[in-house]
Amino acid sequence: MYSGRRLKEALFTVTIITLSVAAIAPVLHIVYTVLVNGVSVIVKAGLRFFTDLPPTPGSAEVGGIAPAIAGTILITAIAFPLSVVLGLFSAILTTEFPKNPLSLLVDTIARSLASVPTIAISMVIYTVIVVPMRSFSALASALALTIVALPYTYTYFSAALRSVPAMYREAAFSLGMSRWDTVTRVLIPISRRIIAAGALTTLARIMGETAALLFTAGRFRGGVAISLTAPVDAIPLLIFDYILSPYEIWHEVAWGASALLLLSYLAIFMSVKLMVKEVKL
Amino acid sequence: MLAVEIEHLNVYIRHAHILKNVTLRIPKNTVFVIMGPSGSGKTTLLKVINRLIDFTEGVRVEGVVRVLDIDALKADPYELRKRIGMVFQTPNPFPHLTIYENVAIAAKLNGVARSKRELDEIVRWALEKAMLWDEVKHRLHAYPHQLSGGQRQRLCLARALAMKPEILLLDEPTANIDPINARKLEEAIVSLKDEVTVVMVTHSPHQAARVADYIAVLYDGRVVEQGPAQQLFLRPSTEITQKLLRGEM
Repeated sequence: MYSGRRLKEALFTVTIITLSVAAIAPVLHIVYTVLVNGVSVIVKAGLRFFTDLPPTPGSAEVGGIAPAIAGTILITAIAFPLSVVLGLFSAILTTEFPKNPLSLLVDTIARSLASVPTIAISMVIYTVIVVPMRSFSALASALALTIVALPYTYTYFSAALRSVPAMYREAAFSLGMSRWDTVTRVLIPISRRIIAAGALTTLARIMGETAALLFTAGRFRGGVAISLTAPVDAIPLLIFDYILSPYEIWHEVAWGASALLLLSYLAIFMSVKLMVKEVKL
Repeated sequence: MLAVEIEHLNVYIRHAHILKNVTLRIPKNTVFVIMGPSGSGKTTLLKVINRLIDFTEGVRVEGVVRVLDIDALKADPYELRKRIGMVFQTPNPFPHLTIYENVAIAAKLNGVARSKRELDEIVRWALEKAMLWDEVKHRLHAYPHQLSGGQRQRLCLARALAMKPEILLLDEPTANIDPINARKLEEAIVSLKDEVTVVMVTHSPHQAARVADYIAVLYDGRVVEQGPAQQLFLRPSTEITQKLLRGEM
Protein backbone atom coordinates (compact mmCIF):
# COMPACT_ATOMS: atom_id res chain seq x y z
CA MET A 1 0.00 0.00 0.00
CA TYR A 2 2.76 2.40 1.08
CA SER A 3 4.98 1.68 -1.92
CA GLY A 4 1.94 2.03 -4.21
CA ARG A 5 1.37 5.52 -2.88
CA ARG A 6 5.02 6.41 -3.38
CA LEU A 7 4.90 5.09 -6.94
CA LYS A 8 1.82 7.23 -7.64
CA GLU A 9 3.56 10.25 -6.15
CA ALA A 10 6.67 9.65 -8.29
CA LEU A 11 4.56 9.15 -11.41
CA PHE A 12 2.70 12.38 -10.70
CA THR A 13 5.95 14.32 -10.24
CA VAL A 14 7.48 12.92 -13.45
CA THR A 15 4.29 13.71 -15.41
CA ILE A 16 4.18 17.28 -14.14
CA ILE A 17 7.86 17.86 -14.96
CA THR A 18 7.51 16.31 -18.44
CA LEU A 19 4.42 18.36 -19.28
CA SER A 20 6.03 21.54 -17.96
CA VAL A 21 9.12 20.96 -20.10
CA ALA A 22 6.90 20.17 -23.11
CA ALA A 23 4.99 23.42 -22.54
CA ILE A 24 8.04 25.60 -22.13
CA ALA A 25 10.24 23.97 -24.83
CA PRO A 26 8.67 25.75 -27.84
CA VAL A 27 9.00 29.11 -26.08
CA LEU A 28 12.65 28.43 -25.26
CA HIS A 29 13.23 27.32 -28.86
CA ILE A 30 11.73 30.58 -30.19
CA VAL A 31 13.79 32.69 -27.76
CA TYR A 32 16.94 30.75 -28.68
CA THR A 33 16.38 31.01 -32.46
CA VAL A 34 15.57 34.71 -32.37
CA LEU A 35 18.53 35.55 -30.16
CA VAL A 36 21.01 33.42 -32.13
CA ASN A 37 19.91 34.85 -35.49
CA GLY A 38 19.20 38.37 -34.32
CA VAL A 39 21.82 39.36 -31.76
CA SER A 40 24.64 38.71 -34.28
CA VAL A 41 22.98 41.15 -36.69
CA ILE A 42 22.71 43.84 -34.01
CA VAL A 43 26.34 43.26 -32.98
CA LYS A 44 27.47 43.41 -36.63
CA ALA A 45 25.59 46.69 -37.26
CA GLY A 46 26.58 48.19 -33.92
CA LEU A 47 25.02 51.46 -32.79
CA ARG A 48 24.02 52.21 -36.36
CA PHE A 49 21.29 49.57 -36.01
CA PHE A 50 19.47 52.05 -33.77
CA THR A 51 20.26 55.25 -35.69
CA ASP A 52 20.37 54.44 -39.42
CA LEU A 53 17.71 53.97 -42.04
CA PRO A 54 17.03 50.42 -43.30
CA PRO A 55 19.30 49.16 -46.10
CA THR A 56 18.32 49.07 -49.78
CA PRO A 57 17.95 45.52 -51.17
CA GLY A 58 21.35 45.66 -52.84
CA SER A 59 23.19 47.17 -49.90
CA ALA A 60 26.17 45.38 -48.41
CA GLU A 61 25.64 46.92 -44.99
CA VAL A 62 22.83 46.00 -42.56
CA GLY A 63 22.05 49.62 -41.75
CA GLY A 64 19.47 50.29 -39.04
CA ILE A 65 15.84 50.39 -38.12
CA ALA A 66 15.62 53.88 -36.63
CA PRO A 67 12.24 54.74 -38.25
CA ALA A 68 10.68 51.56 -36.90
CA ILE A 69 12.13 52.07 -33.40
CA ALA A 70 10.92 55.68 -33.30
CA GLY A 71 7.51 54.71 -34.65
CA THR A 72 7.05 51.90 -32.11
CA ILE A 73 8.07 54.19 -29.24
CA LEU A 74 5.73 56.93 -30.45
CA ILE A 75 2.72 54.64 -30.97
CA THR A 76 3.33 52.76 -27.71
CA ALA A 77 3.71 56.02 -25.78
CA ILE A 78 0.13 56.88 -26.76
CA ALA A 79 -1.57 53.50 -26.88
CA PHE A 80 -0.12 52.02 -23.68
CA PRO A 81 -1.15 54.70 -21.14
CA LEU A 82 -4.48 55.11 -22.90
CA SER A 83 -5.32 51.40 -22.71
CA VAL A 84 -4.08 51.15 -19.10
CA VAL A 85 -6.15 54.12 -17.93
CA LEU A 86 -9.28 53.08 -19.85
CA GLY A 87 -8.86 49.43 -18.79
CA LEU A 88 -8.36 50.37 -15.15
CA PHE A 89 -11.37 52.68 -14.97
CA SER A 90 -13.55 50.14 -16.76
CA ALA A 91 -12.37 47.44 -14.35
CA ILE A 92 -13.10 49.67 -11.33
CA LEU A 93 -16.56 50.42 -12.69
CA THR A 94 -17.50 46.80 -13.31
CA THR A 95 -16.04 45.42 -10.07
CA GLU A 96 -17.42 48.15 -7.80
CA PHE A 97 -20.82 48.45 -9.46
CA PRO A 98 -21.38 45.03 -11.06
CA LYS A 99 -25.17 45.43 -11.37
CA ASN A 100 -25.04 48.89 -12.96
CA PRO A 101 -26.34 48.85 -16.60
CA LEU A 102 -23.26 50.82 -17.71
CA SER A 103 -21.03 48.18 -16.11
CA LEU A 104 -22.85 45.41 -17.95
CA LEU A 105 -22.45 47.35 -21.22
CA VAL A 106 -18.73 48.01 -20.64
CA ASP A 107 -18.16 44.36 -19.71
CA THR A 108 -19.98 43.11 -22.81
CA ILE A 109 -18.11 45.50 -25.13
CA ALA A 110 -14.70 44.73 -23.62
CA ARG A 111 -15.25 40.98 -23.87
CA SER A 112 -16.61 41.25 -27.41
CA LEU A 113 -13.63 43.32 -28.52
CA ALA A 114 -11.31 40.48 -27.50
CA SER A 115 -12.85 38.27 -30.16
CA VAL A 116 -12.67 40.81 -33.01
CA PRO A 117 -9.75 40.05 -35.38
CA THR A 118 -7.13 42.79 -35.08
CA ILE A 119 -7.03 43.23 -38.85
CA ALA A 120 -10.74 44.13 -38.74
CA ILE A 121 -9.94 46.80 -36.13
CA SER A 122 -7.25 48.09 -38.49
CA MET A 123 -9.82 48.33 -41.30
CA VAL A 124 -12.32 50.18 -39.12
CA ILE A 125 -9.70 52.74 -38.06
CA TYR A 126 -8.67 53.06 -41.73
CA THR A 127 -12.24 54.00 -42.61
CA VAL A 128 -12.90 56.24 -39.62
CA ILE A 129 -9.52 57.99 -39.17
CA VAL A 130 -7.14 57.38 -42.07
CA VAL A 131 -9.55 58.16 -44.93
CA PRO A 132 -10.94 61.42 -43.43
CA MET A 133 -7.40 62.55 -42.50
CA ARG A 134 -6.17 61.51 -45.96
CA SER A 135 -3.05 60.04 -44.38
CA PHE A 136 -1.78 57.08 -42.44
CA SER A 137 -0.60 58.26 -39.06
CA ALA A 138 0.83 57.45 -35.65
CA LEU A 139 -2.48 58.61 -34.18
CA ALA A 140 -4.51 56.12 -36.24
CA SER A 141 -2.05 53.34 -35.31
CA ALA A 142 -2.19 54.22 -31.63
CA LEU A 143 -6.00 54.22 -31.63
CA ALA A 144 -6.09 50.83 -33.36
CA LEU A 145 -3.62 49.44 -30.81
CA THR A 146 -5.58 50.92 -27.91
CA ILE A 147 -8.70 49.07 -29.10
CA VAL A 148 -6.67 45.87 -29.48
CA ALA A 149 -5.14 46.27 -26.00
CA LEU A 150 -8.24 47.36 -24.10
CA PRO A 151 -9.75 43.88 -23.57
CA TYR A 152 -6.39 42.73 -22.17
CA THR A 153 -6.01 45.54 -19.64
CA TYR A 154 -9.68 45.31 -18.70
CA THR A 155 -9.59 41.53 -18.17
CA TYR A 156 -6.31 41.58 -16.22
CA PHE A 157 -7.26 44.54 -14.06
CA SER A 158 -10.74 43.31 -13.19
CA ALA A 159 -9.29 39.90 -12.29
CA ALA A 160 -6.68 41.68 -10.13
CA LEU A 161 -9.27 43.78 -8.28
CA ARG A 162 -11.52 40.75 -7.76
CA SER A 163 -8.57 38.75 -6.38
CA VAL A 164 -8.39 40.96 -3.28
CA PRO A 165 -10.19 39.17 -0.41
CA ALA A 166 -13.45 40.89 0.60
CA MET A 167 -12.22 41.36 4.19
CA TYR A 168 -9.83 44.15 3.14
CA ARG A 169 -12.60 45.99 1.32
CA GLU A 170 -14.76 45.72 4.47
CA ALA A 171 -11.88 46.93 6.64
CA ALA A 172 -11.41 49.95 4.38
CA PHE A 173 -15.10 50.86 4.46
CA SER A 174 -15.20 50.39 8.24
CA LEU A 175 -12.51 53.09 8.54
CA GLY A 176 -14.74 55.56 6.75
CA MET A 177 -12.91 55.28 3.43
CA SER A 178 -14.88 56.28 0.34
CA ARG A 179 -15.12 53.92 -2.62
CA TRP A 180 -12.41 55.88 -4.39
CA ASP A 181 -10.05 55.66 -1.38
CA THR A 182 -10.84 51.97 -1.00
CA VAL A 183 -9.92 51.28 -4.62
CA THR A 184 -6.85 53.51 -4.82
CA ARG A 185 -5.43 53.02 -1.32
CA VAL A 186 -6.33 49.37 -0.70
CA LEU A 187 -7.49 47.29 -3.67
CA ILE A 188 -4.98 48.50 -6.29
CA PRO A 189 -1.94 48.47 -3.95
CA ILE A 190 -2.77 44.95 -2.69
CA SER A 191 -3.12 43.62 -6.24
CA ARG A 192 -0.28 45.72 -7.68
CA ARG A 193 1.75 42.71 -8.78
CA ILE A 194 -1.11 41.28 -10.86
CA ILE A 195 -1.88 44.74 -12.22
CA ALA A 196 1.77 45.26 -13.19
CA ALA A 197 1.86 41.82 -14.86
CA GLY A 198 -1.33 42.67 -16.79
CA ALA A 199 0.05 46.04 -17.85
CA LEU A 200 3.26 44.39 -19.05
CA THR A 201 1.49 41.73 -21.04
CA THR A 202 -0.48 44.53 -22.67
CA LEU A 203 2.70 46.48 -23.35
CA ALA A 204 4.20 43.43 -25.02
CA ARG A 205 1.01 43.00 -27.04
CA ILE A 206 1.09 46.66 -28.17
CA MET A 207 4.78 46.55 -29.10
CA GLY A 208 4.42 43.30 -30.99
CA GLU A 209 1.06 43.76 -32.74
CA THR A 210 1.25 43.74 -36.55
CA ALA A 211 -2.19 43.37 -38.12
CA ALA A 212 -3.69 46.41 -36.41
CA LEU A 213 -1.00 48.54 -38.07
CA LEU A 214 -1.39 47.21 -41.62
CA PHE A 215 -3.93 49.85 -42.70
CA THR A 216 -3.05 52.56 -40.21
CA ALA A 217 0.71 53.14 -39.84
CA GLY A 218 1.82 53.77 -43.42
CA ARG A 219 5.27 52.11 -43.24
CA PHE A 220 7.27 55.33 -43.57
CA ARG A 221 10.91 54.21 -43.66
CA GLY A 222 12.49 57.24 -45.30
CA GLY A 223 13.28 58.98 -42.04
CA VAL A 224 12.37 59.21 -38.36
CA ALA A 225 8.79 60.45 -37.98
CA ILE A 226 7.90 62.31 -34.81
CA SER A 227 4.55 63.73 -35.89
CA LEU A 228 1.29 62.22 -34.68
CA THR A 229 -0.41 62.97 -37.98
CA ALA A 230 2.29 61.67 -40.32
CA PRO A 231 2.83 58.07 -41.46
CA VAL A 232 5.15 56.01 -39.25
CA ASP A 233 6.86 52.66 -39.24
CA ALA A 234 6.82 50.06 -36.46
CA ILE A 235 9.16 47.19 -35.60
CA PRO A 236 6.61 44.37 -36.12
CA LEU A 237 5.54 45.86 -39.47
CA LEU A 238 9.14 46.03 -40.61
CA ILE A 239 9.72 42.42 -39.55
CA PHE A 240 6.56 41.32 -41.40
CA ASP A 241 7.52 43.13 -44.63
CA TYR A 242 11.22 42.23 -44.60
CA ILE A 243 10.91 38.55 -43.74
CA LEU A 244 8.47 38.11 -46.67
CA SER A 245 10.86 39.83 -49.08
CA PRO A 246 13.29 37.87 -51.28
CA TYR A 247 16.35 39.85 -50.10
CA GLU A 248 18.89 38.24 -47.79
CA ILE A 249 19.93 41.59 -46.26
CA TRP A 250 16.32 42.38 -45.31
CA HIS A 251 15.98 38.94 -43.70
CA GLU A 252 18.99 39.81 -41.55
CA VAL A 253 17.45 43.14 -40.54
CA ALA A 254 14.19 41.35 -39.66
CA TRP A 255 16.06 38.93 -37.37
CA GLY A 256 17.86 41.84 -35.72
CA ALA A 257 14.57 43.68 -35.22
CA SER A 258 12.97 40.54 -33.71
CA ALA A 259 15.85 40.17 -31.29
CA LEU A 260 15.57 43.82 -30.30
CA LEU A 261 11.85 43.41 -29.60
CA LEU A 262 12.49 40.27 -27.56
CA LEU A 263 15.31 41.85 -25.56
CA SER A 264 13.09 44.86 -24.84
CA TYR A 265 10.39 42.55 -23.47
CA LEU A 266 12.89 40.75 -21.27
CA ALA A 267 14.35 44.02 -19.96
CA ILE A 268 10.90 45.41 -19.13
CA PHE A 269 9.68 42.19 -17.51
CA MET A 270 12.81 41.79 -15.41
CA SER A 271 12.89 45.40 -14.21
CA VAL A 272 9.21 45.41 -13.21
CA LYS A 273 9.63 42.04 -11.49
CA LEU A 274 12.46 43.53 -9.45
CA MET A 275 10.69 46.82 -8.77
CA VAL A 276 7.13 45.76 -7.92
CA LYS A 277 7.14 43.86 -4.66
CA GLU A 278 4.57 41.13 -4.06
CA VAL A 279 2.11 41.78 -1.25
CA LYS A 280 2.10 38.89 1.23
CA LEU A 281 -1.42 38.33 2.52
CA MET B 1 -27.02 59.00 27.57
CA LEU B 2 -27.37 56.48 24.76
CA ALA B 3 -24.77 55.74 22.10
CA VAL B 4 -27.10 53.53 20.07
CA GLU B 5 -30.86 53.30 20.17
CA ILE B 6 -32.56 50.69 18.00
CA GLU B 7 -36.31 50.33 17.70
CA HIS B 8 -38.31 47.72 15.84
CA LEU B 9 -35.44 46.86 13.55
CA ASN B 10 -36.19 44.31 10.85
CA VAL B 11 -33.54 43.19 8.37
CA TYR B 12 -34.29 41.05 5.34
CA ILE B 13 -31.64 39.61 3.04
CA ARG B 14 -33.37 38.52 -0.15
CA HIS B 15 -36.28 36.52 1.29
CA ALA B 16 -34.73 35.63 4.63
CA HIS B 17 -35.88 37.56 7.71
CA ILE B 18 -32.56 37.96 9.60
CA LEU B 19 -33.38 40.43 12.40
CA LYS B 20 -36.91 40.42 13.80
CA ASN B 21 -38.30 43.47 15.57
CA VAL B 22 -35.06 44.16 17.47
CA THR B 23 -35.16 46.89 20.09
CA LEU B 24 -31.93 47.76 21.95
CA ARG B 25 -30.54 50.62 24.01
CA ILE B 26 -26.77 50.86 24.32
CA PRO B 27 -25.60 53.35 26.98
CA LYS B 28 -22.52 55.49 26.28
CA ASN B 29 -19.12 54.47 27.69
CA THR B 30 -20.05 50.92 28.50
CA VAL B 31 -19.08 47.52 27.17
CA PHE B 32 -22.28 46.15 25.64
CA VAL B 33 -22.06 42.49 24.70
CA ILE B 34 -24.35 40.81 22.18
CA MET B 35 -24.47 37.07 22.80
CA GLY B 36 -26.12 34.38 20.80
CA PRO B 37 -25.52 31.14 18.92
CA SER B 38 -24.18 31.07 15.34
CA GLY B 39 -26.65 32.40 12.80
CA SER B 40 -28.66 34.42 15.29
CA GLY B 41 -27.96 37.71 13.48
CA LYS B 42 -25.24 39.18 15.75
CA THR B 43 -22.90 40.28 12.95
CA THR B 44 -25.81 41.64 10.90
CA LEU B 45 -26.80 43.78 13.88
CA LEU B 46 -23.29 45.24 14.14
CA LYS B 47 -23.24 45.94 10.40
CA VAL B 48 -26.51 47.84 10.65
CA ILE B 49 -24.96 50.16 13.25
CA ASN B 50 -22.10 51.23 10.92
CA ARG B 51 -24.07 50.66 7.70
CA LEU B 52 -21.65 48.04 6.35
CA ILE B 53 -24.89 46.17 5.74
CA ASP B 54 -25.33 48.40 2.66
CA PHE B 55 -22.79 46.25 0.82
CA THR B 56 -24.82 43.07 1.30
CA GLU B 57 -26.71 42.21 -1.86
CA GLY B 58 -30.49 42.14 -1.65
CA VAL B 59 -30.72 43.69 1.82
CA ARG B 60 -33.74 45.62 3.18
CA VAL B 61 -33.61 47.41 6.53
CA GLU B 62 -36.72 48.71 8.35
CA GLY B 63 -37.06 50.42 11.71
CA VAL B 64 -35.28 53.15 13.63
CA VAL B 65 -31.54 53.14 14.28
CA ARG B 66 -30.19 56.19 16.10
CA VAL B 67 -26.43 56.24 16.43
CA LEU B 68 -24.80 59.10 18.35
CA ASP B 69 -28.05 61.02 18.10
CA ILE B 70 -28.32 60.81 14.32
CA ASP B 71 -30.64 58.72 12.18
CA ALA B 72 -28.13 56.13 10.99
CA LEU B 73 -30.31 54.76 8.22
CA LYS B 74 -30.62 58.20 6.60
CA ALA B 75 -27.14 59.55 7.40
CA ASP B 76 -24.22 59.65 4.96
CA PRO B 77 -22.73 56.19 5.64
CA TYR B 78 -19.15 57.31 4.96
CA GLU B 79 -19.39 60.13 7.51
CA LEU B 80 -21.14 57.80 9.98
CA ARG B 81 -18.36 55.19 9.71
CA LYS B 82 -15.73 57.80 10.54
CA ARG B 83 -17.23 57.91 14.05
CA ILE B 84 -17.48 54.12 14.45
CA GLY B 85 -14.49 51.77 14.49
CA MET B 86 -14.81 48.07 13.83
CA VAL B 87 -12.69 44.99 14.47
CA PHE B 88 -13.68 41.87 12.58
CA GLN B 89 -13.66 38.20 13.47
CA THR B 90 -10.69 37.47 11.18
CA PRO B 91 -7.71 39.82 11.59
CA ASN B 92 -7.54 41.97 8.45
CA PRO B 93 -4.69 44.49 8.67
CA PHE B 94 -3.83 45.91 5.24
CA PRO B 95 -1.07 43.59 3.95
CA HIS B 96 0.57 46.23 1.74
CA LEU B 97 1.07 48.68 4.60
CA THR B 98 3.57 48.50 7.46
CA ILE B 99 2.46 48.28 11.10
CA TYR B 100 2.91 52.06 11.41
CA GLU B 101 1.06 52.80 8.17
CA ASN B 102 -1.83 50.51 9.10
CA VAL B 103 -2.51 52.57 12.21
CA ALA B 104 -1.63 55.91 10.64
CA ILE B 105 -3.94 55.53 7.62
CA ALA B 106 -7.07 55.67 9.79
CA ALA B 107 -5.89 58.78 11.65
CA LYS B 108 -4.81 60.49 8.43
CA LEU B 109 -8.00 59.79 6.50
CA ASN B 110 -10.23 60.97 9.30
CA GLY B 111 -8.24 64.13 9.94
CA VAL B 112 -7.36 63.07 13.47
CA ALA B 113 -3.68 63.94 12.98
CA ARG B 114 -2.46 66.89 10.94
CA SER B 115 1.30 66.82 11.41
CA LYS B 116 3.87 64.02 11.38
CA ARG B 117 4.43 64.54 15.12
CA GLU B 118 0.71 64.26 15.87
CA LEU B 119 0.54 61.18 13.71
CA ASP B 120 3.47 59.56 15.54
CA GLU B 121 1.76 60.30 18.86
CA ILE B 122 -1.58 58.86 17.75
CA VAL B 123 0.08 55.71 16.37
CA ARG B 124 1.90 55.17 19.65
CA TRP B 125 -1.23 55.91 21.72
CA ALA B 126 -3.35 53.49 19.66
CA LEU B 127 -0.73 50.72 19.79
CA GLU B 128 -0.37 51.20 23.55
CA LYS B 129 -4.13 51.09 24.03
CA ALA B 130 -4.22 47.86 22.02
CA MET B 131 -1.39 46.50 24.21
CA LEU B 132 0.84 45.98 21.20
CA TRP B 133 3.33 48.86 21.49
CA ASP B 134 5.95 46.97 23.53
CA GLU B 135 5.95 44.11 21.06
CA VAL B 136 6.29 46.20 17.89
CA LYS B 137 7.98 49.47 18.88
CA HIS B 138 11.27 48.38 17.33
CA ARG B 139 9.72 47.10 14.12
CA LEU B 140 7.06 49.61 13.19
CA HIS B 141 8.11 49.33 9.57
CA ALA B 142 7.61 45.56 9.42
CA TYR B 143 4.61 44.16 7.57
CA PRO B 144 1.59 42.48 9.22
CA HIS B 145 2.48 39.02 7.85
CA GLN B 146 5.47 39.10 10.20
CA LEU B 147 3.13 39.25 13.22
CA SER B 148 1.25 36.42 14.93
CA GLY B 149 -2.53 36.11 14.46
CA GLY B 150 -3.20 37.64 17.88
CA GLN B 151 -0.82 40.52 17.26
CA ARG B 152 -2.49 41.15 13.89
CA GLN B 153 -5.86 41.35 15.64
CA ARG B 154 -4.51 43.82 18.19
CA LEU B 155 -3.08 45.81 15.27
CA CYS B 156 -6.62 45.95 13.85
CA LEU B 157 -7.83 47.23 17.23
CA ALA B 158 -5.12 49.91 17.17
CA ARG B 159 -6.10 50.85 13.62
CA ALA B 160 -9.74 51.24 14.66
CA LEU B 161 -8.74 53.28 17.76
CA ALA B 162 -6.54 55.62 15.72
CA MET B 163 -9.72 56.96 14.10
CA LYS B 164 -10.66 58.21 17.59
CA PRO B 165 -14.08 56.60 17.24
CA GLU B 166 -16.96 57.26 19.57
CA ILE B 167 -18.23 53.69 19.18
CA LEU B 168 -16.14 50.56 18.70
CA LEU B 169 -17.77 47.48 17.19
CA LEU B 170 -16.04 44.16 17.89
CA ASP B 171 -17.23 41.10 15.99
CA GLU B 172 -15.98 38.05 17.91
CA PRO B 173 -12.50 39.58 17.98
CA THR B 174 -10.93 36.70 19.91
CA ALA B 175 -12.51 33.86 17.92
CA ASN B 176 -9.42 33.16 15.83
CA ILE B 177 -6.60 33.91 18.24
CA ASP B 178 -4.80 32.12 21.07
CA PRO B 179 -5.84 32.48 24.76
CA ILE B 180 -2.90 34.73 25.74
CA ASN B 181 -3.62 37.19 22.97
CA ALA B 182 -7.35 36.93 23.71
CA ARG B 183 -6.69 37.91 27.34
CA LYS B 184 -4.63 40.94 26.23
CA LEU B 185 -7.40 42.00 23.89
CA GLU B 186 -10.00 41.68 26.63
CA GLU B 187 -7.89 43.80 28.99
CA ALA B 188 -7.60 46.41 26.27
CA ILE B 189 -11.37 46.38 25.71
CA VAL B 190 -12.17 46.90 29.39
CA SER B 191 -9.65 49.76 29.65
CA LEU B 192 -11.26 51.51 26.67
CA LYS B 193 -14.73 52.19 27.96
CA ASP B 194 -13.84 55.56 29.47
CA GLU B 195 -13.12 56.83 25.98
CA VAL B 196 -15.42 54.85 23.74
CA THR B 197 -18.63 52.81 23.76
CA VAL B 198 -17.79 49.19 23.01
CA VAL B 199 -20.33 46.93 21.33
CA MET B 200 -18.97 43.41 21.23
CA VAL B 201 -20.34 40.23 19.74
CA THR B 202 -19.33 36.95 21.32
CA HIS B 203 -20.70 33.48 21.78
CA SER B 204 -18.57 32.86 24.85
CA PRO B 205 -20.43 33.41 28.18
CA HIS B 206 -17.08 33.39 30.03
CA GLN B 207 -15.79 36.24 27.93
CA ALA B 208 -19.06 38.13 28.35
CA ALA B 209 -18.78 37.71 32.12
CA ARG B 210 -15.27 39.14 32.08
CA VAL B 211 -15.89 42.25 30.01
CA ALA B 212 -19.60 43.12 29.83
CA ASP B 213 -21.49 45.90 31.59
CA TYR B 214 -24.65 45.09 29.66
CA ILE B 215 -25.70 42.04 27.70
CA ALA B 216 -28.30 41.38 25.03
CA VAL B 217 -29.11 37.81 24.06
CA LEU B 218 -30.00 37.30 20.44
CA TYR B 219 -31.65 34.12 19.25
CA ASP B 220 -33.00 33.47 15.77
CA GLY B 221 -32.96 37.19 14.97
CA ARG B 222 -34.85 38.26 18.14
CA VAL B 223 -33.60 39.86 21.34
CA VAL B 224 -34.79 37.39 23.96
CA GLU B 225 -33.29 39.20 26.95
CA GLN B 226 -31.22 42.29 27.73
CA GLY B 227 -30.01 44.07 30.83
CA PRO B 228 -27.06 44.67 33.16
CA ALA B 229 -24.55 41.82 32.94
CA GLN B 230 -24.62 40.95 36.62
CA GLN B 231 -28.40 40.69 36.70
CA LEU B 232 -28.46 38.57 33.57
CA PHE B 233 -25.84 36.16 34.88
CA LEU B 234 -27.44 35.87 38.33
CA ARG B 235 -31.08 35.71 37.26
CA PRO B 236 -31.46 34.78 33.61
CA SER B 237 -35.15 35.01 32.83
CA THR B 238 -35.40 32.86 29.72
CA GLU B 239 -34.52 29.27 29.04
CA ILE B 240 -32.48 30.30 25.99
CA THR B 241 -30.26 32.56 28.12
CA GLN B 242 -29.84 29.82 30.72
CA LYS B 243 -28.77 27.35 28.03
CA LEU B 244 -26.43 29.89 26.45
CA LEU B 245 -24.78 30.65 29.78
CA ARG B 246 -24.33 26.94 30.45
CA GLY B 247 -22.64 26.61 27.07
CA GLU B 248 -25.34 24.30 25.75
CA MET B 249 -25.99 26.36 22.59
